[in-house]
Amino acid sequence: MCGFAGVARREPNGVVPAVLQRMATAIRHRGPDGLGAMTDAQVGLAHARLSIIDLEGGAQPMGNSEGTLAVVYNGEIFNFPDLKDELAARGYTFQTRSDTEVLLHAYAEWGEAMLDRLNGQFAFVIYDRREKSLFLVRDRFGILPLYYAERGGDLYFGSEVKALFASGEVPRALDPAGLDEVFTFWAARPPRTPFQGVSALEPGCCARWQSGRLTFRRWYTLAFAAGAEAPGALQQLVDLMDSSVRRRLLADVPVGGYLSGGLDSSAVCALAARDSSAELRTFSVAFADPQFDESAHQQAVAEAVRSRHAVQHIGPADIARVFPEVIRHTETPLVRTAPAPLYLLSQLARQRGIKVVLSGEGADELFYGYDLFKEAVVREFCLRQPDSPTRPRLFDRLYPYLARGGARAGDFWRRFFLNAGSTSDPLFSHLPRFGLTSWIKEFYSAEFRAAVNGFDGLGELRDALPPAFSGWSTLQRAAYLEMVTLLSPYLLSSQGDRMAMAHGVEARVPYLDHRVFEFAAALPDRSKLRGLREKEILRRWAANVLPASAAQRVKQPYRAPDVPAFFEGEPPPYVAELLDESALKRGGIFDPAAARGLVRRCRTGQATGVREGQALVAILSTQLWQREFFETPVESGALRYESGRFVLAN
Amino acid sequence: MSQAGSYSPTEIVDRTRTWVRENFLYMRPDWKFGDDDPLLGSGVIDSIGVIELVEFLQSAFHVKVADDEIVEQNLGTLNAIGCFVNGKVPGNGTMPAGVPVDGVGKNTAGAGMLLRPRA
Repeated sequence: MCGFAGVARREPNGVVPAVLQRMATAIRHRGPDGLGAMTDAQVGLAHARLSIIDLEGGAQPMGNSEGTLAVVYNGEIFNFPDLKDELAARGYTFQTRSDTEVLLHAYAEWGEAMLDRLNGQFAFVIYDRREKSLFLVRDRFGILPLYYAERGGDLYFGSEVKALFASGEVPRALDPAGLDEVFTFWAARPPRTPFQGVSALEPGCCARWQSGRLTFRRWYTLAFAAGAEAPGALQQLVDLMDSSVRRRLLADVPVGGYLSGGLDSSAVCALAARDSSAELRTFSVAFADPQFDESAHQQAVAEAVRSRHAVQHIGPADIARVFPEVIRHTETPLVRTAPAPLYLLSQLARQRGIKVVLSGEGADELFYGYDLFKEAVVREFCLRQPDSPTRPRLFDRLYPYLARGGARAGDFWRRFFLNAGSTSDPLFSHLPRFGLTSWIKEFYSAEFRAAVNGFDGLGELRDALPPAFSGWSTLQRAAYLEMVTLLSPYLLSSQGDRMAMAHGVEARVPYLDHRVFEFAAALPDRSKLRGLREKEILRRWAANVLPASAAQRVKQPYRAPDVPAFFEGEPPPYVAELLDESALKRGGIFDPAAARGLVRRCRTGQATGVREGQALVAILSTQLWQREFFETPVESGALRYESGRFVLAN
Repeated sequence: MSQAGSYSPTEIVDRTRTWVRENFLYMRPDWKFGDDDPLLGSGVIDSIGVIELVEFLQSAFHVKVADDEIVEQNLGTLNAIGCFVNGKVPGNGTMPAGVPVDGVGKNTAGAGMLLRPRA
């Protein structure tokens, strides 16, 4: 993977190289292996390259031999060898071994219809010089990012927002509605971002820019079907996962794996170890706090798949130490610290010479792995007989890892779920989470409360649901909501792409091969959640791939310490500085007096619940985010531009 | 001032109200919070907070709260707490759980309005 950026002018005024230079430099971490640029009167394209396929020949921006097309591209087309054969049979010749060139010829041959043929994770922009247009594309599930801003008919785009700001032509301002979505969903919902005037291209969407106008089209739709499980379904899953992992091992550099210790990543690593020509390198996070730690399971799987395993040990001080860097890369406030350990994990992988890793992300959404799915089923079951004294006890089985206090407060605990929302609400499955997260808003300052007044993020989400949504089952609706509110804008971005690319590591996600999604989406609910047993068919599949202890392991959600990370030991000075009342007042988003109460409880160890932990992380990360993006100039970089290429000056 | 082991329902409610405000409503000091307003349903206290509440009651009023007593009937509102704790304090007469005590705080805000956005 790589990073790209660019500018398109409505009038042919050109793009000065210095602008492209600043934009590319801002995202140099995404592509430390090379920088390139091209400009003409209309368009400027810049690219920071992470060399993975065709190390010698894949430099970008890349044009076709006729000079009619140019592309900047971030990602991988895993079926590019097949497409290359097909295009070669149609008379195209190839100068390189890269998938980038395949994209160019595929566009020339099939136009926008090329997208349906792509298997991969990608964001790219193709400049069509004949039409003086740009074609912007983001993959089906939003694995890779693409941001844009429009200013007077000019278009600015890039893999990260900081590239847009580095142009010096896109103003920096926060979007109260975007922030309010962060404090509802954990992330702003595309196309919205926390920055006013900056949008994210929605997953599965493409856009055409021409004559200063941008038009959008959804090219891939998340769809669910209901039917019986076909007799050959399990074998189909075996074949699909074999193919998906094999395709994602395609690289001219070694491919490693992230190993959480859970079923999903373990099975992927097992297949990767089986199919790799060299010994597989695996990487895990281990926590000093045993309530978060899964290292015993990780070690067992590493031994079972015979990988060469490395562990990143995480103590609370580590999270606080890297958190400012984490926010610089996520480009959004957070409500959890969970990305921080992954930032350190990608650093470890890179230090060990690995720049491509496979991850288990996506399986929980496709195969109903999260507790949220069970929770929705139990809530629905209880609400059918609201007076039943026994049915609500099912909630006690859902969250054993939150046992601290939860068992003693059972009556209240259960009531929280029962009161969380009506089954008639299309957002039913997610209302407990949205409600819990929204407690952060109690800390809003009066001014910020006024700024978001009238904005209804839940209402907008309800209005944006596809027509088919109402015909789906409760679990299918939950899966859809999980994918559009959390998977793409938070898990694949803040925890995924951003943390990996901070150190120039590409994360590949075999479960989000669209063929695997379409297979899972066509399964009956019962094949995914049987009773309260999650990922039913995936477990049957994994039983042939993993030792029984790993294949049958109950899911443990990935979490990281929050309050202790910033209040135990000697936290870095920024914690006190940014939580200081004058700093909060300057930030303007949170009420200093309200935050003071929270800080007092954090300091005294009283803030032990999820909602206060989320509030602390939200306030602190928002302060860091404001400091990073509204007070710090984007680095200018020591680069110079020569003959269409950037050259490092040092 | 009460002697240790002897607290009136009014005193229990007053001290609990102060504690709830300091620990769960610190971010919204202007909230109107009535003695019959639900502590959980309104979102004032979450399930982890209930454990803190129980620890506070045990330590402040020298009572033991059994697991099966941690129910909304006993701890759902300030008045319910006043009644429940008063009935457990040694030397106090036992009172039926969940029955409001006359003269102890009046409901000044409608149930369920505490988490609604300000106008």
